[in-house]
Amino acid sequence: MRKITVLVSFLLALSFSAFAQSSHDNESDTLATKEEVQNVKGAVEGLNESYLETKAVVDAIKKIKISGYIQAQYQSAEVDGAKSFAGGDFPVTLHNRFAVRRGRVKFNYDNDLTQYVLQFDVTEKGMGIKDAYVSVKEPWLKTFGFTAGVFDRPFGFEISYSSSNRETPERTRMYQTLFPGERDLGAKIEIFPTSGPLSLFNFKGGFFAGNGTTPETDNAKDFIGRLGFSFPFEASNLAIDGGISGYFGSVLVDAVKKTYTLNSSSVPVGDSLSKYIDRNYLGADVQLYYDLPVLGGFSLRGEYISGKNPGTSTSNAVYKQTNGDVYLRNFSGYYINYVQNIGSSLQLVVKYDVFDPNSDVKGDDIGVSGSKLSVADLKYNTLGAGFVYYWDGNVKFTFYYDTVSNEKVNANAVATTLAPYKSDLKDNVFTLRMQYKF
Amino acid sequence: MKKILLALLVSVSAFGFSGNETITVKGSDTMVILAQRWAEVYMSKHPDVTVQVTGGGSGVGISALINGSTDICNSSRPMKSSERDKLKQRYNSLGVEIKAAKDGLSIYTSQSNPVSELSIDQIEQVYTGKITNWKQLGGNDSKIIVYGRENSSGTYVYFKDNVLGGADFTSTMQSLPGTAAVVNAVAKDKNAIGFGGAAYAKGIKIIKVKEDANSTAYLPTEENIKANLYPISRFLFMYTKSRPSGAMKDYIDWILSKEGQDIVTKVGYFPVK
Repeated sequence: MRKITVLVSFLLALSFSAFAQSSHDNESDTLATKEEVQNVKGAVEGLNESYLETKAVVDAIKKIKISGYIQAQYQSAEVDGAKSFAGGDFPVTLHNRFAVRRGRVKFNYDNDLTQYVLQFDVTEKGMGIKDAYVSVKEPWLKTFGFTAGVFDRPFGFEISYSSSNRETPERTRMYQTLFPGERDLGAKIEIFPTSGPLSLFNFKGGFFAGNGTTPETDNAKDFIGRLGFSFPFEASNLAIDGGISGYFGSVLVDAVKKTYTLNSSSVPVGDSLSKYIDRNYLGADVQLYYDLPVLGGFSLRGEYISGKNPGTSTSNAVYKQTNGDVYLRNFSGYYINYVQNIGSSLQLVVKYDVFDPNSDVKGDDIGVSGSKLSVADLKYNTLGAGFVYYWDGNVKFTFYYDTVSNEKVNANAVATTLAPYKSDLKDNVFTLRMQYKF
Repeated sequence: MKKILLALLVSVSAFGFSGNETITVKGSDTMVILAQRWAEVYMSKHPDVTVQVTGGGSGVGISALINGSTDICNSSRPMKSSERDKLKQRYNSLGVEIKAAKDGLSIYTSQSNPVSELSIDQIEQVYTGKITNWKQLGGNDSKIIVYGRENSSGTYVYFKDNVLGGADFTSTMQSLPGTAAVVNAVAKDKNAIGFGGAAYAKGIKIIKVKEDANSTAYLPTEENIKANLYPISRFLFMYTKSRPSGAMKDYIDWILSKEGQDIVTKVGYFPVK
């Protein structure tokens, strides 16, 4: 009995001790848990603070946008040294070539209402600046914008249609002649109403140096502008866009140089009546988009430009102050471009363009004795066709063939420079291009 | 030769008529639960069609539509003209807009918040930082904690354009990556305010909204939205690159049918018809 009593007493004592210990342990656990929760809460708050700081930095970085594209291509012409507007003349010793046609990288800091843009073009031929401008939009109506620097001239459709999106490898001969490099140095305003019936219309126009991306050389500024419209018919999946454009400018000619107006095969009389010679163009463009059931969308685009362009005796490129006598020509040109989507990845492309750098004369007038007309007065037309295959969201392949036809000079022309132009030049070009864009 | 031709024919047939169609859907986070529900029900009835749904935000979905990585884009805001221009450049098409559902863009607060109605002007002032204390709105003397969405969200853009009149959000707004995250944050914070789709409103209070101080305030209910009484109702859109055909057309037609629109109601949004 005594042994039992001792054993029970011992067990009771042990239980009490264990209970006391357990109670103490629970209290400690609760305190520890509370402490742990506080620690976790502190850590979460710290993380949240850190997240907000990081987010502020990321939000700022997100405003910097870097984009670019590379166009690597292989071309084959009919003969060595073919003259071409499909990426420039071929060297005299070859008729096929590899080239990086464009290697663009663009930096854009977009602060919603203000923008900084810098774009370079890097190819095997070197590096050049394409865009360098600042842009500001007023914060109230968000309708009026102002841009200054080097940027696309606000004329027509083809200039503003990016080379990375364009379905044909190059712009038309007309655009390459009248607006080499597409950009100019100047300032423009843009009016893009955001609501109401006026939102169907837009305007962009400004004053430019007129020398492309090269430095200013005279005091006169050229006005370039386009009044555009955009009529979407969403229910029919039809859109009609377009505009009228004007270029009113001049080129500076030194008084010692003569000015000739080339409007006939007769011998023009040179004069030095004015230091500034007119460079005036008027243009109209229209684009139609329509979605064909099952097949996909198509676009039909056309553009017409005519005006007065100062060049030299042997070139219809825009006159530069360093050139000799100036030769004024009335010109006209147009193009029609059809693009048909077939499903999501394929596009068929057909384009026909005509450029007559001197619309007052015929090919037969060129080569007449005493005439100052030259190959720079010849009319060209180009029929191009091909297709574009979109490999994925970044890569596309372009297969394109240009058939180029030139007006023929007078069969009796004696000048050796005119001899090749008595028949159609062998200057058709095939282009296979691969583009990566990001 | 005949064997080669036959093999080619069989191969082409196998690719062209495999009978297994996949439709990819990407975009609005507001619409993601609705889109998933549509996809689940549709796939259960059409086992030959796979519908893959992902979110990311309306802006992300529209970009995916333009770069060709999705067939259908869900968007809780209309497409911008700049986005339509990109579609025109790439696909020679304006894209096809389908109004798939309606939503009452809801203003959330904590269930314990005594404020029960706000005017559009008051909401605008809260979200542009001009009103910072609940006391200014007839509530407690507490700082308003403002929650919103990230700028890739269609809800963010819709709210900015239609409630803030294009003004910038207050810099104190905490931007969260989804309506569910906004609801979750508001539910846990008695001084919080948030906005988002009606279908997400669980565990929070939805505030009545009125056009101006003298108007009647309304909740985003089906009746009020149908009667155009709730001032910030909006359509939820689906966009395709061009006119839908084949399996995609069948799927969209089904979404617009009574069966598809019943799912809209079940999820918590409002049918278009």
